[in-house]
Amino acid sequence: MALDTAHSTEALLSVRGLTVTLESEGKTRAILEDISFDLKPREILSVIGESGSGKTVLARALVSWLSAPLRVTSGEVLFSGSDLIADKAYAKSLAGREIAYVGGNPAGALDPTMTVGAQLVEKLRAVRPDISAADAKEKAIRLLGAVKIPSAERRYHEYPFQYSGGMMQRVMIVDALISDPALLIADNITQPLDVTVAAQILKLMRELNADFSTAILFICSSLPVACDAGDEVMVLHAGRVVERQSSANLVAKPEHTYTRQLIEELPTLWADDRKGRDTPPNRDQQAIMSVRGVAKYYATRGKTGKALVQAVRNVEFDVFPGDNFGIVGESGCGKSSLLRLLTGLERPDAGSIFFEGENVGEASSKRLRALRRHFQLVLQDPYGSLPPQSAIGSILEEPLKIHGIGDRKERRERARAAMSEVGLNEALYDSLPTGLSAGQRQRLNVARAMILEPRLLIMDETLSALDQTEQGKLLDLFERLQAQHGFTYIFISHDLTMVRRVCSRIAVMYLGETVEVAPNERLFFDPGHPYSRALLSAAPTLEERRYRPEDCLLEGEPPSPIDLPPGCAFASRCPHVFERCHKENPALTSRGNHALAACFLDSNTGAKDSIHD
Amino acid sequence: MFIASFLARRLFQGALIVLLVSAIIFTLLRVVPGDPVRLMAGGMAPEALIEQIAEDMGLRDPIYQQFGRYVGGMLQGDLGQSFVRPANGASVGGASFDDNTRSERAEVWDLIANTAPMTLQLALLAMVFALIIAVPIGVWGGLRPGEFPDRFALYLSSVFVSLPNFWLGIVLALVLSVKLKLLPAIGYDGFAYTILPALVLAVEIAPFIIRTLTVSVAGVMGQNFIDIAAVRGLTRNQIIFHHALKNSAVPLLNLLGVQFSMLLGGVLVIEFIFDYPGLGLLTINAVMQRDFPLIQGIAIVTAAAFVLINIVVDLCATAIDPRLEY
Ligand SMILES: Nc1ncnc2c1ncn2[C@@H]1O[C@H](COP(=O)(O)OP(=O)(O)OP(=O)(O)O)[C@@H](O)[C@H]1O
Ligand code: SF4
Ligand SMILES: [Mg+2]
Repeated sequence: MALDTAHSTEALLSVRGLTVTLESEGKTRAILEDISFDLKPREILSVIGESGSGKTVLARALVSWLSAPLRVTSGEVLFSGSDLIADKAYAKSLAGREIAYVGGNPAGALDPTMTVGAQLVEKLRAVRPDISAADAKEKAIRLLGAVKIPSAERRYHEYPFQYSGGMMQRVMIVDALISDPALLIADNITQPLDVTVAAQILKLMRELNADFSTAILFICSSLPVACDAGDEVMVLHAGRVVERQSSANLVAKPEHTYTRQLIEELPTLWADDRKGRDTPPNRDQQAIMSVRGVAKYYATRGKTGKALVQAVRNVEFDVFPGDNFGIVGESGCGKSSLLRLLTGLERPDAGSIFFEGENVGEASSKRLRALRRHFQLVLQDPYGSLPPQSAIGSILEEPLKIHGIGDRKERRERARAAMSEVGLNEALYDSLPTGLSAGQRQRLNVARAMILEPRLLIMDETLSALDQTEQGKLLDLFERLQAQHGFTYIFISHDLTMVRRVCSRIAVMYLGETVEVAPNERLFFDPGHPYSRALLSAAPTLEERRYRPEDCLLEGEPPSPIDLPPGCAFASRCPHVFERCHKENPALTSRGNHALAACFLDSNTGAKDSIHD
Repeated sequence: MFIASFLARRLFQGALIVLLVSAIIFTLLRVVPGDPVRLMAGGMAPEALIEQIAEDMGLRDPIYQQFGRYVGGMLQGDLGQSFVRPANGASVGGASFDDNTRSERAEVWDLIANTAPMTLQLALLAMVFALIIAVPIGVWGGLRPGEFPDRFALYLSSVFVSLPNFWLGIVLALVLSVKLKLLPAIGYDGFAYTILPALVLAVEIAPFIIRTLTVSVAGVMGQNFIDIAAVRGLTRNQIIFHHALKNSAVPLLNLLGVQFSMLLGGVLVIEFIFDYPGLGLLTINAVMQRDFPLIQGIAIVTAAAFVLINIVVDLCATAIDPRLEY
């Protein structure tokens, strides 16, 4: 770092009155207004703000990556004294060399046809031509090792598609840091990652900040993560900086109303235990859905010929009428495959699934279609799941048509009723869904699912694309609908705070298995499986943690569900692993009070309850 | 390892395809009207003689027996003998039914082996010309979608597509050969004779290459890794030549494979116009003379070439984009 001796006390980056406008249809709108702040060498400054507040636009303005219709209309971005806005050539010469950028979408960030190693070397030598190819390679491998990519030497020669999302994000961090930049702009880098992986990346970033003395502008949309990552936090609201404080002060004494509101609305995991809905439903009645030892395998062609992906294994749980049942787990743990089994889109390879006593996995396709009236699915993606060419009204009437319900007039009535019930303006009946916001789209999806008056609604990550405020509103809606129509919900989610808030009973999945099934309170205060504890330790929260990440999770990522080794699937990351874990796979065992866990350490606790309650 | 199993699988599939093609052609040729023996022996030959010749040649056996014999020969590299062509030159036929040189008919394999390299040369040269015209225009258009280069590529392609090849062939021959005396046009007597027909063919296939390239380059340029490459510090040249072009190459490669197969199998019109002694001309003559063994032989060799070209294209594509290796 040539820079930090000369400028160690002065600001490395100093933004003055930066204004960015958006020009569309002759109108101009300010996206960023009069942004000013300083960033000292080696400092980590978090930037937080709601979706649309202009965080990404700020990041792009700093790395000279704005394109029409966005334009900087006034202000300066001074990097060690010189203005990047005025001097484009200077800005270009710094790109990738002194100012590095990592975005939130690692998936498409590298050329799919070249090995990761070759691209790291290419980038380093593009910005520092004096480095020899051999030195560049050596450095790339060393840094891949430093970000904990296992067997970096071999991985260096692999292609981007052979990396998981979390590993790819680490590669992008290496890509940014390989040229020893003075400044790193990180825009939402943990957003696409699972909580346990995101926690690892954050830890890694702080270590790198210490080792490489890089200043970091850390942009994110979650307050706990921002406070955790940065020395100071800057709050962006509607394109303006509304306050900047040290992390601790911000939480203790927020100054701006927006920040105060943000902190107030922040869902909690442990504090304020009124929030958990732990009213156990009546267990004497018949379960509405009951899943018994279900498994699903997919055949794929791996490197060495045929291979079996064990997407779902040993899944067991019961859902009772009136339940809010949660299924949590990280990406790739088999949630979506399980969902396809639950809805009868695919048939299980082992075990059985009963809906109100009827075996879904063996029902004829005609019977299945009739059954689907009673259990409906609401999908994750608010953008992909609606046909863009049909009007909202006809989207809602379509399920009625398919099931041959009502005449034209009646269908219209029901569509309108459903719209008003989920809070969509009836005037939207004839318009296309393209103009709807993410929250409105999800309301439409819910309306479409409930128009057939189902008894069970399965929500697949339904809320994960929405921001905190909109999520809250939809959860209230779900609660109201449940009270009115007696729905039972299954929420599939990776978001522990959401599950904590709405679910009465929760199943935790790891690598296709249910490793723990427990009532809400029990899971959060007395988890029975080490993986549940790891999840809790990594969840972003401002509260004092009951479980510390250092104690709960070993480095690494879930092993591939292809060719699983025998024994407990969590053994490779479990801090309590012992000999038996590598030989036998623990089964779900009761821990008393309707809580079950699949871990040898816990098997001797609790009474001999029946497994299936 | 991967390559070996890939080749084994694809070659096996290819052999099946060739077998199927020959079965179909074989059957079709025997159900169309017109007795080839009558043609060979001439209109004046007595019925009894025709029957005898047909019997001798095995043409009165059931089709499956004939086919079995044919496949047996094929496996040993024997595609049979032409009905009409003698081993030493001009085709026989007409009244010479009692001509005893008839037994000296040409081997189909030799006929094809003599003409195929000519067509191969023509096809390769046409491909080179087409790429020289199409790659710069297509890439330029793809880098500036919606702007002048894109429109230019579109206009030029439309013009090329709407030129009938026989007309273009005749015009070029008149201008370049008759008027300007720059290039020879008719027949074959050295490499220069290939240039004119290759040019005409290049104009014919260039629009497809231009179109494929503009679309795929524009698509690649819109992708995230290209967008972010400048922020990572790569230069514009690196972005275009190392990344954009490589990623657009797979669709182009597939197209070139198809185009090349078409050139090998069917440059009938162009070879006919320029009297170019390639497979196309051979095919035309074979069809006009009802020379069944020759038609069959050409069809089978072309099918085999299709199969091989496809294998090569797929191998190249996986070399460029490793994700295709499944
Ligand atoms: N290329 C663009 N064209 C038009 N509008 C844009 C463009 N980029 C951003 N905007 C607008 O600028 C505003 C700020 O967007 P920005 O992406 O910076 O939000 P953000 O804070 O990063 O949100 P998120 O948390 O969802 O990432 C939004 O209103 C958005 O619609
Ligand atoms: S069975 Fe063993 S490896 Fe598995 S979670 Fe329990 S202690 Fe860990
Ligand atoms: Mg953003």
